[in-house]
Amino acid sequence: MTSATFNLKLRTSNILWRIVDLIVGGIFIYAGALKMFDPVRFASDIDNYKILPWTIGVALAFYVPWLEIFCGIALVLRFLYRGGLSILTALVLVFTLATVAAKVRGLDITCGCFGHASQHWSFPAHIATNLAILAALLALCFQAAAKRKAAH
Amino acid sequence: MKSALVYQTLVLAALALVPGIGEALYFHDKISWRSSIPASEMVSVEQARAWGDSAIWVDARPDEDFAHNHVPGAFSLNEDRWNALLPQFLAAWSPSKKVVVYCSSLNCNASREVARRLRDEAQLKNVFVLEGGWEEWLKKK
Repeated sequence: MTSATFNLKLRTSNILWRIVDLIVGGIFIYAGALKMFDPVRFASDIDNYKILPWTIGVALAFYVPWLEIFCGIALVLRFLYRGGLSILTALVLVFTLATVAAKVRGLDITCGCFGHASQHWSFPAHIATNLAILAALLALCFQAAAKRKAAH
Repeated sequence: MKSALVYQTLVLAALALVPGIGEALYFHDKISWRSSIPASEMVSVEQARAWGDSAIWVDARPDEDFAHNHVPGAFSLNEDRWNALLPQFLAAWSPSKKVVVYCSSLNCNASREVARRLRDEAQLKNVFVLEGGWEEWLKKK
């Protein structure tokens, strides 16, 4: 492989990963903004999972949307990037586990992930979306780790 | 390496805290930190029934559930067809009536949301959420 071909491949790969960054970051900025505008509804959605006391649910309803927005911005700007990726991965893992737990317990939950837009998502749609986002986040984590390794 | 990751995580977590607290202060009068619904906005099946004709029942469940069965005389008013259903409910409503909103069960969210919208958007007073919803109504039929 010539140096020019290698550089072209590297550049294309970088652009593709950047696009994934922007899409995933954009999704969290959008999801966070929807919930940030209606924390009362989000608090109700959290309460529906019947996992946390109401007071903690309310606190999370005010906090989590902003956390999603800031982490989404971190991905888009590639600033505090690894921190943003880690937090978002942890959040999606928790959301997914909570959804599965709610389903197992037979709760008729409103997803709340994308505010009013996700109100009538079915359980499979909910899980599929979470897993797709989780896969993208994990891929970005591995890519960032590989890049760091290569740089050293 | 790991300390950089912890640092970044903490910075982001702290950054989000600032607007989060600001928003909590801004919304302090719109949400209770103690209970999802203030006790004054809940009503039991027995109490709602005792109101008799002075109560107007609102079914916040989806159309198909309403079509299958509902509290006699209840109006369907769900968020899916809010704009289409609200006028017919308002036509039957009068200021002297107490509005009782219900959804499927204790865990459902729709009655809370519909009650909240009736208060905030339609500016109605005396709007209550039925404890236990349709399931409880059936049990005490």
